[in-house]
Amino acid sequence: MFSVSTFLDSFAPLAMAARYTLLVSGLGIALGLVIGALICAARMSSNPVLRGFGGLWVSFLRGVPLLVQLLLMYYLLPVIGVNVPAIAAAVISVGICASAYISEIWRGAIAALPKGQTEAAQAIGMAPTTVWTRVILPQAVVMSLPALVNELILLVKASSLVSIVGIMEITRASQAQAATTFRPMEVYLAAACIYLAINLTLAAIGRYLENRMAV
Amino acid sequence: MVQASSVQIRQVDKFYGPFHALKKVSMDVLPGKVTCLIGPSGSGKSTLLRCINFLEEYDAGEIRIDDQLIGYESPGGRKMRGAKLREMRRSIGMVFQQFNLWPHMTALQNVAEGLVRVRGLSKSEAESRATEALRKVGLADKMGNHPLRLSGGQQQRVAIARAIAMEPKLMLFDEPTSALDPELVGEVLNVMKALAAEGMTMVVVTHEMGFAAHVADRVAFMEKGELVAVDEPSRILHSPEDPRIQGFLRTYHERNSF
Repeated sequence: MFSVSTFLDSFAPLAMAARYTLLVSGLGIALGLVIGALICAARMSSNPVLRGFGGLWVSFLRGVPLLVQLLLMYYLLPVIGVNVPAIAAAVISVGICASAYISEIWRGAIAALPKGQTEAAQAIGMAPTTVWTRVILPQAVVMSLPALVNELILLVKASSLVSIVGIMEITRASQAQAATTFRPMEVYLAAACIYLAINLTLAAIGRYLENRMAV
Repeated sequence: MVQASSVQIRQVDKFYGPFHALKKVSMDVLPGKVTCLIGPSGSGKSTLLRCINFLEEYDAGEIRIDDQLIGYESPGGRKMRGAKLREMRRSIGMVFQQFNLWPHMTALQNVAEGLVRVRGLSKSEAESRATEALRKVGLADKMGNHPLRLSGGQQQRVAIARAIAMEPKLMLFDEPTSALDPELVGEVLNVMKALAAEGMTMVVVTHEMGFAAHVADRVAFMEKGELVAVDEPSRILHSPEDPRIQGFLRTYHERNSF
């Protein structure tokens, strides 16, 4: 029989654990946006070494599962003498992994801008940095918004993988809860509801931003 | 009267890989005059126009604006520094076939942007000049609209306002009416006509033979990267001697007789 009370009781502890889910995915995307911008710049640079580095970065991070990246980071950092808490290793892994996808999202958005946008700015004598800050980036950011929200939702779900290095986020907390209550179905259903609530909220915020920023 | 530039084009060559896009083109654009570039598509008209403000880099020859070489430090020499090129471009306005307005800015912001970011005017000074430029093209009431809320003809007039607000001494038009619905062509041509009447030096790539016949001081015909002839409009459009021009005009009139 389905135990409604267990289902409802699961929400409080899982909601506490959701703080870690939000922390890892929130800091992860923030880190991913910063590193992603740098990698995007490297890939579009005229310097072949930077371009090559950016290309390798993206290929490696897209080609290796996040779970393996997490374990590598977790075991690698102490070996090279960096002792960081598991949560830091988790945030760094998630952020670095996200940067690969985000850099491609931005590269795509920038490449999708018609050449005439830049030419019109060059024709009136606008300096290259001004062209970037006033013409290219404002449009690229708006264009990339749907894909970035999508990426953030993927990260919220992928953050369940950081349970492997011992972080008590939603998925790991529900495993623990299921083990003590012997009611896995109720507990995982509650976990599913919380993930869904987070992601529906993110999608709604994304739609709101898109509407507000649309021209 | 606006201050008007002259342009001298000498022996200009341009290649795209193995394709010879411009073949030793030489031409003078006289100050305060309107020169129309006509010819079949792919003949190099737009390429030549875009070489004048160095949006397209020519490979050999010289293009001088008021005796100053554009794009290179010296003929056949090193490429010009960016800052120098930008300074030259400030006095050359350009209007594109696809308008190329910035969609994230209003009409007013599109026109004021260069005044603030390139000319260094204050925001209020820039906006009052931008308003003036928009009034000149008949769009004072559309200042707050974003480009997508404007018709093609209105967008192109905003683009012209954006160029003239910078107070150029030379205006380049790259098929300014080719992307417009037929009923919107007139409003853009009228603005260009008014600009010509003020004494602006204009180079216009166009398929509007009526405009070429009535507004241009000189018409240049290009084919396959060559400048075939430059002359008074009537000599080119009514009694051309060159069979290539005759053929082009025959095709043009046949198309328009449908």
